[in-house]
Amino acid sequence: MSEPILELHGLNKSFGPVHVLHDVDLKVRAGEVTALVGDNGAGKSTLVKCIAGIHASDSGEVRFQGEPVHIRGPKDAAELGIEVVYQDLALADNLDIVQNMFLGRERGSGWLLDEASMEQAARQTLASLSVRTVKSVRTPVSSLSGGQRQTVAIAKSVLWDSKVVLLDEPTAALGVAQTRQVLDLVRRLAEQGLGVVLISHNMADVFEVSDRVAVLYLGRLAAEVNTKEVTHGQVVELITAGRSGDLGLARPDTATV
Amino acid sequence: MSVASEERAGTGGADVPSRESPLRSVTALFSGPAGRNLGLVIALALLCIVGMITAGDRFVSFDNMMTILRLASVIGVVSVGMTFVITGGGIDLSVGAIVALSSVWASTIATQTLAENTHWIVMVSTALLVGAVCGLVNGLLIAYGRMAAFIVTLAMLAGARGLAEIIAQKRTQVVTISEFIDVVGGRVLGIPVLVLIFAIVAVAGWILLNRTTFGRRTLAVGGNPEAARLAGINVKRHTTLLYVLVGVACGLAAVMLLARTTAGTSTHGMLMELDAIAAVVIGGTLLSGGRGTIVGTVFGVLIFTTLTNVFTLNNLDTSTQAVAKGVIIVVAVLLQQRVAARNGSPP
Repeated sequence: MSEPILELHGLNKSFGPVHVLHDVDLKVRAGEVTALVGDNGAGKSTLVKCIAGIHASDSGEVRFQGEPVHIRGPKDAAELGIEVVYQDLALADNLDIVQNMFLGRERGSGWLLDEASMEQAARQTLASLSVRTVKSVRTPVSSLSGGQRQTVAIAKSVLWDSKVVLLDEPTAALGVAQTRQVLDLVRRLAEQGLGVVLISHNMADVFEVSDRVAVLYLGRLAAEVNTKEVTHGQVVELITAGRSGDLGLARPDTATV
Repeated sequence: MSVASEERAGTGGADVPSRESPLRSVTALFSGPAGRNLGLVIALALLCIVGMITAGDRFVSFDNMMTILRLASVIGVVSVGMTFVITGGGIDLSVGAIVALSSVWASTIATQTLAENTHWIVMVSTALLVGAVCGLVNGLLIAYGRMAAFIVTLAMLAGARGLAEIIAQKRTQVVTISEFIDVVGGRVLGIPVLVLIFAIVAVAGWILLNRTTFGRRTLAVGGNPEAARLAGINVKRHTTLLYVLVGVACGLAAVMLLARTTAGTSTHGMLMELDAIAAVVIGGTLLSGGRGTIVGTVFGVLIFTTLTNVFTLNNLDTSTQAVAKGVIIVVAVLLQQRVAARNGSPP
């Protein structure tokens, strides 16, 4: 098994009196899809936002390629090669595909934009991910379907020679065919050697694309297991009760982490 | 193909497919990127025809054209700045007051004495600096103080004009530096310098909005500030810069007014905010942000000033003008909504 590209140790995060993340440890390996599952409010999105630098964690260590790093903002994460595809997509409707993909990191000499180079890079990236559903890279995002928007958001995340991509419920609002496309895309990201973290509520999706499953239960990491070694039932039990047989947290009354 | 491809029409970015029925292609012509401006061109042309018929040679003469452009230049510079703020999802009600304060501050006895001993550029830089600082205060309160742009700039509207009255003691301050008036109020190759300044500002504004990182980020901040923030754009800093930009535009407008009227007074720029917002909006910039067009703004300004000119040449009073302006604003926005609905951008 390869060395983890991204490692979290004892990550804690509180919002005022609410302790959202308790000593979370997580390993993300290159070339693998790690599914991050958990009930509503288990802390999945918070964890992603801590990694992305949107929230500052209260304590804990983040290692990237073995080196301890401090991520203070989205820019820091992006510089390391960590990209996030947010649940609400975070695309600007009024801009076209190219403009969205390069938002915040526009190419150009000095102040002037280099549209041709950006357009070409966007096309190449979409082609490398075998995306054929988008007709023109100059289409405004407002006129795209849900699946196409998700595709653009994911393509945006790999444009940057990124090493880790975090996807927050990429299939939540999609139909069957579109979910299919996005899952294929997720698999392709891993095949290209990226470390992929997939947050999902959908067990079918998780078992289809992930190599490992990490389960969050009330802000604690209940288990991190190989997908092949567990059943649907076990994962559901881990999500709802935090434990399943030998797996998971010790009984709550004896829990000393 | 509305939105951001809008100004790219000239570079062949958006080729309108021509396989629609004639009727639909006519509507497509108006709804396409170039079409929105075409509507404005037609409106302006109609106004000119009315002017030619009713006032004849008095309207068509070169001198009258330059009069219109000179009138348009001051409000035009402010409107270009306003286009950025509105595109970035904000509004600035204080532009008129900032123009007044800048004009007064740049023409105080102290400033003029200093300018006399050194160079008239001191007056110009004073006006620009006052404008920039007012804009900075607006921007900081809005972006970092998390106050509504409407309220902050409303406060600035009252405050800046009040301060202008205090400084000028409600008197008109005559500009005594003739060199300044000769240069800024003069002509180069027969064209008033004021008009040249407006032209330069408009071109610079167009480049800034459509061809630079700053402009692209302005669109993003106005369209979806959350997405912009997640993309690593410093939304607060960018918003602040937008208000500084419009502040500097107001300072420049104050300089132009000083040269045109040869006086600084706290009554300069009265209701200029409304004229500027009206010109920006009928030009096709979205009041809710995320879409902006400098070309449209320039046409908006020209339409209003031509209207004023035609009315003046026909000895119609300003009250009638005001009514006509109101009607034009409503009609323009109604038409835009129709066009937007026909373009049918899905949610």
